[in-house]
Amino acid sequence: MKLLFKDIDEPGLCTLEVYERRGGYDSLRKALGEMSPEEVLHELEASALRGRGGAGFQMGKKVSFLPKGSMDKYLVCNADESEPGTFKDRELMQKTPHMLIEGIVIASYAAGTTRSFIYIRGEYALPADVLDAALAEAREAGYIGEDILGSGHSLSLVVHRGAGAYICGEETGLLDSLEGKRGNPRLKPPFPANQGLYQGPTLINNVETLSTVPAIVRIGGAEYAKLGVETSTGTKLVSISGNVRRPGNYEIELGIPSREIIYGLAGGPPEGREIKCWFPGGSSAPVLTPEDLDVPYDFDSLGKAGSMLGSGAIIVVDDSTPIVDLAMKVAKFYRHESCGKCTPCREGTNWTVKMLERIDSGEATPMDLDIMASVQEHIIGNCLCVLGDAMAMPIGSMIAKFRPEFEAHIEAARGRNGLGASTPIASDAALAAQGALESELPPRGELAAHGAGDQAPGEHRGAAGTHRGGA
Amino acid sequence: MPRPEQRTITFTIDGLEVQAPENSMLVDAAKHGDVEIPVFCYEPKLGNPVGACRMCLVEIEGIPKLQTGCSTPVKDGMVVHTQSDRVKIAQQSIVEFLLINHPLDCPVCDKGGECPLQDITFGWGSGVSRFIEPKRHFVKPLELSPTIAIDRERCILCYRCVRFSQEIAEDYQLVLLERGAHSYVATFDGHPYEAPFSGNIVELCPVGALTSRAYRFRARPWDVEDAGSVCTLCPSQCNVSLTVRDERVMRVLARDNPEVDDGWLCDRGRFAYPRLGGQERVTEPLIRDGGELRPVSWERALEEAATGLGRAGKSTGALAGGQATGEEGLLLARLMREGLGSPHLDSRVAGALPLELHRALGDPSLQAKVSDLEFAHAVLVLDTEPIEDAPILDLRLRKGVRRHGMKLLRASSHQLLGEESARELARELTAAGEEIVVLWGERLTAGPDGERAARALLDLAATLSLAETKGAGLLEIPAHANGRGLREAGVLPNSGPGFEVVGEDGLDAPGIAAGLIDGELSALYLLGVDPLAGSDWDSARWERALERASTVVAHAAFLTEGVRTHATVVFPAQAYPEKEGTVVHPDGRIQRLRQAVAHPGATRAEWWILADLARRVGIDLEVLNGAVASRLLFEAVPFYAGLTLEEIGGKGVRLEDRRATVAHS
Repeated sequence: MKLLFKDIDEPGLCTLEVYERRGGYDSLRKALGEMSPEEVLHELEASALRGRGGAGFQMGKKVSFLPKGSMDKYLVCNADESEPGTFKDRELMQKTPHMLIEGIVIASYAAGTTRSFIYIRGEYALPADVLDAALAEAREAGYIGEDILGSGHSLSLVVHRGAGAYICGEETGLLDSLEGKRGNPRLKPPFPANQGLYQGPTLINNVETLSTVPAIVRIGGAEYAKLGVETSTGTKLVSISGNVRRPGNYEIELGIPSREIIYGLAGGPPEGREIKCWFPGGSSAPVLTPEDLDVPYDFDSLGKAGSMLGSGAIIVVDDSTPIVDLAMKVAKFYRHESCGKCTPCREGTNWTVKMLERIDSGEATPMDLDIMASVQEHIIGNCLCVLGDAMAMPIGSMIAKFRPEFEAHIEAARGRNGLGASTPIASDAALAAQGALESELPPRGELAAHGAGDQAPGEHRGAAGTHRGGA
Repeated sequence: MPRPEQRTITFTIDGLEVQAPENSMLVDAAKHGDVEIPVFCYEPKLGNPVGACRMCLVEIEGIPKLQTGCSTPVKDGMVVHTQSDRVKIAQQSIVEFLLINHPLDCPVCDKGGECPLQDITFGWGSGVSRFIEPKRHFVKPLELSPTIAIDRERCILCYRCVRFSQEIAEDYQLVLLERGAHSYVATFDGHPYEAPFSGNIVELCPVGALTSRAYRFRARPWDVEDAGSVCTLCPSQCNVSLTVRDERVMRVLARDNPEVDDGWLCDRGRFAYPRLGGQERVTEPLIRDGGELRPVSWERALEEAATGLGRAGKSTGALAGGQATGEEGLLLARLMREGLGSPHLDSRVAGALPLELHRALGDPSLQAKVSDLEFAHAVLVLDTEPIEDAPILDLRLRKGVRRHGMKLLRASSHQLLGEESARELARELTAAGEEIVVLWGERLTAGPDGERAARALLDLAATLSLAETKGAGLLEIPAHANGRGLREAGVLPNSGPGFEVVGEDGLDAPGIAAGLIDGELSALYLLGVDPLAGSDWDSARWERALERASTVVAHAAFLTEGVRTHATVVFPAQAYPEKEGTVVHPDGRIQRLRQAVAHPGATRAEWWILADLARRVGIDLEVLNGAVASRLLFEAVPFYAGLTLEEIGGKGVRLEDRRATVAHS
């Protein structure tokens, strides 16, 4: 069943005329004309629609968190679609902008907000132009402005173009940027629902989430909840890219096997290639392997499989891509986009890239993989926002799942550089496998006599590294 | 505006039940249980926490992720762990991350030995680094401003300096440029960071990234001693800690006293010390000989002064100000009144007010204190420019506006004198609320309309019920740093110590100038002031007055215009780091100066000089040392009765509060 892409191929859908001809703004009329804000909110809650931006928080709940009362409240649409591999919001905004505007008006009615913004990434110049044109039409038609369709509900809407930073897709970074400040994430709590834009209660939702609202009003929340599976209701746009034959955006019902999307819809990897790994939800999701292809594509199943649905961007990587190259691409992206406010993300992303560069240039040993894995662990959960985790989770999963390939890459690069094989003491894991950890090493006392203290052999080189690093 | 009220709660930290104020941040609450949680970016003086450095991660039962102790308010029954393996690993990893790009140049770094990064690395780090890649490099050190050097390689990007510039001083000059590991602290287009409070960022910096150019490479922490005192360069009287090495002040740091300065210093107070201990100081007695000042022995100078003053007798006028303490004021008043029989002395530039006005304006129930500026509903700044006259109060006003929504109004005495405009002013103030503070400058009472303006101010206070309202009142910024203390000590032509009547009225400052010009007076005694230096004085008139005076005795640390051209005897004066004695803050807090360094050259204490002169003109003031001078002062001023130097201690005693306590007991 298609809700968002119902008429997506209709020529001229971006104009008000075509959109209205296909039933556009009927939901708005229904919500504002026949329903109270509480009733609309009830439908949203009944739909159990989970946020499509990445975090997967229930939209109805988010709306209900906004304090009641007559203070200035804001609705912000997060259109800073920056997660690598994600391009579904672009298609929505470019082809059916009125659906988003309609969704914003209905959501603002339910949440009691009177000012709204669409924060769109600066690179999306064409979608922003389309939105601007659609907004002018909507204003003209009385869907935006004072006393919309005589309902007493008023709403202003501003399309704001960002200046190009991944971190401005993080909701609090977005708010700072929208306020005209440097886009740095804020400390939470307070959460935006209480103190968001200009310190006022703020509802922030993704483009796809808000675009789904008219459909929910049209078919009813309970009906919507029947789509998909129990904890992941409804349909979802999936952006599929990478080594597949038919990349693009597909609307699927949540809960279908991932294989059906990758092979069924996208046609699988090119002739003669095998899937090495795949990101199920954007480049910040831990990678999964071909063994995981039968995992149902929904929030909870992917979580159980050790990854996440994220923004719904599947990136397929086949066996032609070295895993080190993939890790490097991911790490460099997040290093470049780290805002620098908190320590683990700022330093951790930078350090990870430097280690990967060393691995690639043949100056590493397999022990560096242990350090790299431990650095990822030190980042996860310790940062101000989730950007650090967004690098650490996929990199950590790559090291865990493709360690032999990393080690082979290291040895090959060392060979190319004429550095010879890495030290025989490869890693604790490798040694344990050889059963050599205890028997072939000198007793601890002897190590101490050589000034190595009581460090485990694996740390030996790290200590020497301190001197090099400090010099 | 409501002041924060705090309830005490009980929580558990590392297995220990601890009582702490509710909603205080965990890092502060932990201290009540003697548990230290390390921090870099957290500094409560800077306002709300930002949670950027992540050093203070702790484990709280019931919350899956580690939380930042700097931003988590403590709740009743909370169970916190700071010593679990999870927390230790997180702390070690943050230290490791911070040291990745931090040069390990501690032996040549100014911060070494007093560096939070060193201490925390030692206490919470793992002791080894696994980082062997090249570090980040910047050109260094650079001049951030004429007084501050910046070493960007050492910066750990804690945001403290940027937050100070943006949210405390509100000069908006410091920003972070670039992103991620390439971020660095900078100003727009590299312009120098020139602002009235810039020096505070040096003290805020938790590493050696921001250093004082005057202090750089002058001393290591183990070479120096700290001496607490009070800066008397302006009426703010900020509490300072002087870094002393080999009898020289090497640095001035803030000594936290939230009721006085909120822990900040202005750049004047922070960076004036090289001059105070510099080559230009007068360090030996001088007399005028053949038109030129030349050094002489103390005996010669004292004799010359005593002879001149004795000859003039009651035709002597005296002015006190500058850095003079209450003790010096009292001794000067006694020398004048008892020794020379002259009532012509003044510590006010503007001239005397009728005694009843002095008493009314100084009425204890009308006095606001510094922290009232922060919590008041409205503050009226009247005939004063805080950034010039008492800079640190400027920060307090900004804090009130920014954090508590205080309404700030400015006016001049002209508005106060017009009937309609005064009513309008009162209306605007009461619109904001009842707690209103009027911050007014001594110059309000200057000139022919001075007395009328003072009465209008009292009328305004009555209209606004300032005396009856808690947290409301008047706060005067006097022209001299210790203006209030000198008046209370009796350096006024119409009153003795404690505003008591003593004999007939003498001439006030403008009167003394007139007296010298028309020959009624023939000698002038200048204690710490020079009427030709400083913009508050009518210098053309004083130029003529000084020309006519046959004897001008001056206590001076520097040969300023009037002293250099007109003094007949110059005694070297102490600068505040060399002084002992007491001063009174504009809000009535009596504070203690403690000698931090030895007197340069032949300089002697003012009390000694005044006592010696008094002996030479025939009276014994019975002063044997500085402490005796203080005791004499406490005995002389009725409302100082019972004060001791010990009671004043390091944070001072606010006389209004003390009087209230005395009245209750």
